[in-house]
Amino acid sequence: MKCDFSSVVIFSVVFRIVLIIYGEWQDTHMEVRYTDVDYLVFSDASSLMASGLSPYKRSTYRYSPLLAFILLPNSFIHRSWGKFLFSASDILVGLFIRNILKLRGVPENLWLISMGAWLFNPFTFTIGTRGNCEPIVCAIVLWIIICIMNGYTELDHSPWIHITHNIMHLDGKVLQAAFWYGLVVHFRIYPIIYALPLVLILNPRNIQAGSKPSLQTWSGSQQKSNQGSNGKGGVSLFDSLLPLRSLLTRERILFGLLSASVFFFWTYLFFYLYQWEFLNEAFLYHLTRTDPRHNFSIYFYHIYLHHEHEFSILEKLVSFLPQLMVQLVLIFCYTQDLPFCLFAQTVAFVAFNKVITAQYFVWFFCLLPLLLPWSNMNLRWEGLSCIFIWMGAQLHWLMWGYMLEFKGKNVFVQLWVAGLLFLAANTWVLIRIMRQHNLSPIFIESQKTSVKSATKLH
Amino acid sequence: MAAHLRFQVCVYMMMFVAIVPFQLKLVQTFSSNVDYCSDPDTIIVSLPCSQRYLSESYFEKHDSLLDLDFQGFLEHELSLCSCDALPDSANYVPTISTLQRHLLGEGSHRHLSTLIKFSVQPEGTSEIPAHSCQAVVVERLPSGIFADPFELQHLVQRGVFIDAVVFGDTNLELPSALSNRSLVEVHMDVGQNILLGNKKGLEINLDLPLHARYPPLDKSGYSGVEMGLPDIFMRCITTEKTQRNNCIWIAEAEIADANTSHVVWSIPSGKNEHSGFVSSITFASALLSTLIIVLSAINSPRIHSTKDLKQP
Repeated sequence: MKCDFSSVVIFSVVFRIVLIIYGEWQDTHMEVRYTDVDYLVFSDASSLMASGLSPYKRSTYRYSPLLAFILLPNSFIHRSWGKFLFSASDILVGLFIRNILKLRGVPENLWLISMGAWLFNPFTFTIGTRGNCEPIVCAIVLWIIICIMNGYTELDHSPWIHITHNIMHLDGKVLQAAFWYGLVVHFRIYPIIYALPLVLILNPRNIQAGSKPSLQTWSGSQQKSNQGSNGKGGVSLFDSLLPLRSLLTRERILFGLLSASVFFFWTYLFFYLYQWEFLNEAFLYHLTRTDPRHNFSIYFYHIYLHHEHEFSILEKLVSFLPQLMVQLVLIFCYTQDLPFCLFAQTVAFVAFNKVITAQYFVWFFCLLPLLLPWSNMNLRWEGLSCIFIWMGAQLHWLMWGYMLEFKGKNVFVQLWVAGLLFLAANTWVLIRIMRQHNLSPIFIESQKTSVKSATKLH
Repeated sequence: MAAHLRFQVCVYMMMFVAIVPFQLKLVQTFSSNVDYCSDPDTIIVSLPCSQRYLSESYFEKHDSLLDLDFQGFLEHELSLCSCDALPDSANYVPTISTLQRHLLGEGSHRHLSTLIKFSVQPEGTSEIPAHSCQAVVVERLPSGIFADPFELQHLVQRGVFIDAVVFGDTNLELPSALSNRSLVEVHMDVGQNILLGNKKGLEINLDLPLHARYPPLDKSGYSGVEMGLPDIFMRCITTEKTQRNNCIWIAEAEIADANTSHVVWSIPSGKNEHSGFVSSITFASALLSTLIIVLSAINSPRIHSTKDLKQP
């Protein structure tokens, strides 16, 4: 059978439908449910909302009320509605991966493999069909990248955008990306780490009002890498930081204002409806979460050993410092290659987080296929060894986790060491990916602006 | 282009969904949750006898579960429950001939299995109206253990229990040092007209899923959590003509065999002596990984501009 785009999509869709139906069967006939326990939480919250009650009456519901809202059909169509919605988002992520790679000029065989790396990743297709909402967040993040890459001309025919543009001289791409960015940060918070690279990529050298930005193509970047890319004289972000005034461009200010407005609009609206219950559960809980129970984070045992007293500000700062340093350095080194920057940031963010659960891995799995075509990694040896190291460290942790949770053995120290090894594995794999990646800016600098700025300098 | 249009349609649909949540203040009644509703069949006159859950009125008056307060509640309030349909109701007090408890499984998620054998020996031959009875088992859980109300709800839906509820601290995530005690009340069917006597005796087997919280630190590495004895009630509802009546008895134990009824759950706990090296190595590893990633990022190949490409 020929493996083309349609057959990959059709197979992925059918496979997910079969898994959802199988999940229903397992839930009814077996003691261990297929459905994710969080899905039951969302569904309960949604049925409370359908009754006109607060979704936060369901304990452990710690999401935006928007999630409960989009699952309302669970109450009056079918309880699996949400699983179909999440799996549809999962397929949408696959399509967005194709879209981004095609925009970047990646040949069909490569984007098909990259798309398959998402659609046929056992971790991702089970996440959606078991009823985890992360695919929605992934789809929105990828859509933001598409909006930024596509530029104004793609939205030329939208009358709304046209009118707004004429009246306010706003660019459609900024509006779209900012709207979705504000929404996704409200929805899941963690994409806040993308704020700086998204603002920095809106460089006036890249984005020109009224014209589509020029995208760097895959073949162009490959050619460049063949000509030797190990030099250090390229477009560093430090260059763009020199004239501080150039940081405050119209595009950046608009993006910041609009996304902040969207974020605050939803947040205020839900605060108005659900008061502190909403702020405590959907925001403050995530911001201050320090889970003493075992999880992949290196900090869990430290938190458990000190859970009976408050952490000092110094302790909090020391545990936050690695996260902050790594994020800033990755942003300043890689922003121009936006998908790679977001990927590296997400891997590091998850690795250094105080709480890590397996569902967080989806956050970077959706970005991984976007960099595969630019990787020099030998898939057979280095690629497989990275997969085995990462999976091995995870399985090793799971073994000790099983001993503690299901066998009642005191293996806290072993589990903590397994967490340290998992951090080492994450660090190792991230560094291998960084070293083997052909860094390629998504935009070709606008010649007009370059010349203009060069003239000004003279 | 068509594909792009499809993306746009999907995205705008999502936008639509995001914009209209407040138009739907639905007026459906919420009726599925075992915790919130009251059953019209059992609402008669007095409290707490006629309430759906026997422990409910205790938590209406108290914020937390204290053994002394609960004992007082049993003695002073539940014992006052009248039973008009049975004039000699004191004669029907069920006694417990056997109470055996075991913890099944291993680790943090276990089942507390309780075998209860009742003996009902009616005295006298007064006419007893038709009735149906439930055994109500109340477990006052220690702070190191909790029951998941949603898991119990699932069991009620599957018909394992007639009803179940958790009162008290239902935060499922906190360690025991930061949490309060909770109480589980489970209702199980024991059959029709049991007060007429049953030569074989009545037997129920309750399998209650329980979960361990992280215990306080302990030198030995394990913390023993002792389960107290359950409070067991028999609740019978009689239907006589148009009048319904609700009779509740506190079941009395004939024997209290410490060997078969006391249960201790040994839960792994962190050791204080680990604090020093765990904290220092944790932060040292985080800083080391940070340093390696930062150095690698700074030394990794940089982006070349297109201007560089054009130069020979």
